[in-house]
Amino acid sequence: MINWILVIIGEILVAIGAICDLIAAIGINRFPNFFVRLHALTVGTIGGAFVPLIGVALIALGAEFLGFYRFFMAGASVIAAILLLFLAPVGSHAIARAAHRSKAAIVYPKVVDRLEEDREKGVIE
Amino acid sequence: MGIEEHVMLFITVIIPIFIVSIILYLIRILKGPTIPDMVIAIDAISYDIAVFLAVLAIYFNSPILISCVIVLMLWAYALDVYVAKYLESREMGE
Repeated sequence: MINWILVIIGEILVAIGAICDLIAAIGINRFPNFFVRLHALTVGTIGGAFVPLIGVALIALGAEFLGFYRFFMAGASVIAAILLLFLAPVGSHAIARAAHRSKAAIVYPKVVDRLEEDREKGVIE
Repeated sequence: MGIEEHVMLFITVIIPIFIVSIILYLIRILKGPTIPDMVIAIDAISYDIAVFLAVLAIYFNSPILISCVIVLMLWAYALDVYVAKYLESREMGE
């Protein structure tokens, strides 16, 4: 009985992750500029990779046909999910800061950009 | 229906969604107008392939595949940091 509960919860999490991945893939093609596409990337990171990895761990714990190595699979999945939860936001913030500072991505449909004005006036470095 | 048939049927249904997402990310990698666009698309495709590998490890019942997931994640993070460093100061850092 507990195996069925673990497997069903894990399958629900993997299904949520797959749908988030599809939404992020559509968004990364449809959004107009780099800083808006960053939003689609983070949807695909937390919703599309962290949640299904936890789901894979639960499925591997509940599925007895995988043999003894299912504990290894569950542990490696949880470790990968926690690493991703720490490292992926750091990476996206670093690339966003670098793109804004080096003007590699132009903010095209914009209303106001106070950070760029301050940097031109020399208020901040 | 036992647990094994249920899990196999579910994974068979879920695999095409991942493949469609990978193809859509590939379009952005090939099209991307600036370098940061390509970099975030490569990040997203790395995380997507990592989850896909974890699902395939259950499908093929092979625990070897699950250790590639951690390597893929760390590789995507290293790509982020290196490209950010290069864009800011035009050097890779020695």
